[in-house]
Amino acid sequence: MSSIEEFASMEKGREYYQKLVEELERLNERVHAFNNINHGISSGFPFSAKDNLCVKGVETTASSKVLSGYMPPYNATVIKRLFSKGFSFLGKTNMDEFGFGSFGINAPEIARNPFDERYVAGGSSSGAAVATSILKYHVAIAESTGGSIATPASFCGVVGFTPTYGTVSRYGLIDYSNSMDKIGVMARVAKDIKPIFDLIRGADGYDSTTTNSPITSINKKRLIVIDQLIGLVDQRIRSLFEKLLDKLNSMGYSIEHRSLDMIDASIASYYIIAMAEASTNLARYTGFKYGLKVENFEKGYNEFFTDARSAFGEEAKRRILLGTFVRSANVRDKYYFKALKVKDLLFNKLNEILKEGFIIMPVMPIPTPRIDDARKLTPLQVYKMDALTIPPNLCGFPHISFPYGYDNGLPVGAQVITSKFNDYSIINFVEEWEENFEYKFKYNIGEVR
Amino acid sequence: MYIDFERLLKVCRLSLRNDEKEKMEKEINEIIKYFDVLDSIEIKEAKEHQTSNVEVLRKDEVRPFDDIDGLLKNTKTYRFSVVGPKV
Repeated sequence: MSSIEEFASMEKGREYYQKLVEELERLNERVHAFNNINHGISSGFPFSAKDNLCVKGVETTASSKVLSGYMPPYNATVIKRLFSKGFSFLGKTNMDEFGFGSFGINAPEIARNPFDERYVAGGSSSGAAVATSILKYHVAIAESTGGSIATPASFCGVVGFTPTYGTVSRYGLIDYSNSMDKIGVMARVAKDIKPIFDLIRGADGYDSTTTNSPITSINKKRLIVIDQLIGLVDQRIRSLFEKLLDKLNSMGYSIEHRSLDMIDASIASYYIIAMAEASTNLARYTGFKYGLKVENFEKGYNEFFTDARSAFGEEAKRRILLGTFVRSANVRDKYYFKALKVKDLLFNKLNEILKEGFIIMPVMPIPTPRIDDARKLTPLQVYKMDALTIPPNLCGFPHISFPYGYDNGLPVGAQVITSKFNDYSIINFVEEWEENFEYKFKYNIGEVR
Repeated sequence: MYIDFERLLKVCRLSLRNDEKEKMEKEINEIIKYFDVLDSIEIKEAKEHQTSNVEVLRKDEVRPFDDIDGLLKNTKTYRFSVVGPKV
């Protein structure tokens, strides 16, 4: 039984929701999963929305000062579809500013790992993963551009599903990189993912990249490991991962190895495209239309605009600079257009491999870092940490992250990737995994004893 | 690849303090140097970007948006206009 079905069969009144919100408020003061909590929730299965998804009349900031106070006058398509089936909005979840980060530390309040609050929750959908880990009955609507669902799901010990690009409408999403942004789902068990995916997916007249292509469930019982990617992984994670492969082998999966020699090129390609798109998207925050108001109308436009942009965080400024640079007339062939060609090349290579079976790998090359240690990394070191999550995200392949072990009391996640529109197969794969492995949670807010 | 950092800041309309500027310039140069790895990838066929999956295009027709008040709530207004800087 999915927890959505279990919840529907439970008797609960208004008091249930009041207690849920009170307990959540208390814990949230420490773990910073939510940027705001809906105190009016009184019925229905609770869902949270990453703070880059528009919910009518609810402050939506993408954890950026530049959007403080912004109240969307409409609901994102995913939110509208959830409301239409009686799901209840619990709040907006914390994230790296505009999705720019891998550890959740580029935010005014840093979301903390519920298993040990000294450690990162992962990013950029940091709050979505923490919320899923601490709430017994809840699903999180998150978003991934380069690994923002898989990474936090892995660090917080929950299931994180990123669908095929184009299956879920991005209408009402605050854009980071339009060609790679994907709205997905986090839940405590894979069984909760499919009904939500079925509800939110499908063509939408407000997003021309959406499609009604049928979703398949083809599982060839073959798992492919890409040697160069595994070569990047820390020894502790690698030994845990090898144990996972042994278990999967005993479950009837054959394990095969393939080679893919363009890891650095895929990281570079991803960041060039993502930054190029982000630098244009962030130009809309002019200081008088959304969120933050500069109000010094005596100034000329350029000066006014510069003042508004001072509210961006350091990583956002870095991406504006790099994204603008790679699009410059004298270098765009070398960087931006070459990055698009490399993306195509990678897509074709991965697509061939995926015809043979699922690709499997750890989500992150390192164990969960402490917040203080993550802060010491240089931006380039952080970008390179995304080596394993970038390939499926850059190419729009569906992938799912699931917990498969615990290292020093902290969860460790792996991810499986499949061909486009074969999304059901990997959700089913994790359901099968869950028959053989029990997930751990430190908190169970909303549990009825 | 040489970057005229001052010019880039101006184009981006970003203003940084001197200490921020020095750190940011160093980091950006390091990242651009890393991006040069793309030079090592040989693309045999110059294919157009082909991984997008556009299947459904809606009719190009106007759809009215009713909540004008909601839109204006996010701006400073004067009579019937949105107040902005001098252009």
